[in-house]
Amino acid sequence: MMELEALQQIDSEVRGLGAQIVALTPELERYTRNVHKKLNLTFDVLTDLHLRTAEQFRLAFVLPDYLRDLYKSFGITLDRFHDEAEYRLPMPARYVIDGEGVVRAAEVNADYTIRPEPSEIVKVLKALKA
Amino acid sequence: MADLQSRLNEFKRALESGAPPYNRPRAAIETMHRATAELKASGLERLARKVGDRAPEFSLFNQDHVRVNSAELLRQGPLIVTFFRGHW
Repeated sequence: MMELEALQQIDSEVRGLGAQIVALTPELERYTRNVHKKLNLTFDVLTDLHLRTAEQFRLAFVLPDYLRDLYKSFGITLDRFHDEAEYRLPMPARYVIDGEGVVRAAEVNADYTIRPEPSEIVKVLKALKA
Repeated sequence: MADLQSRLNEFKRALESGAPPYNRPRAAIETMHRATAELKASGLERLARKVGDRAPEFSLFNQDHVRVNSAELLRQGPLIVTFFRGHW
């Protein structure tokens, strides 16, 4: 969520550089709709149903049983949010893909409390244009 | 607004303090640390798509139930794709 807010702050600059942002989550549309509205996002939030795209980026992982139980106790019922029995998530990740479909920057971290600054994206986009 | 990592650090500090509004018990915090450490140790990060790889294509529904196709977006220019866990 914090990451989405931070990306929102650079969205107009990104568009000015001829690029677009999309955010993918395994959550069903009733959740993406709320997030989009709540954060006043000007980019799309897409439902990556059953983590099929996360799998292709090789980001999907199954939560260990003890973590699944903890999440459940907090009311974080991923089975309902994702419409699948298994508790899976994507590792937090951010990619810059050029117009040819090639990855030009990739930031993946198994620790969700560590994220790169969105300003890094702007630097990459400027370098792509140069 | 402070930069993203500062805000994340502040959130983490508040969560792990055990104080309101989160009131997270110590045992829960330790369980979360264990899970993150195990995921790190699994080496999964290194298997993820990286610079120079061809990005997988996707065609997914957005928040308004409109289908969004990555190939169409890429025809207009570069694309930033971010994966996030969810609303919770």
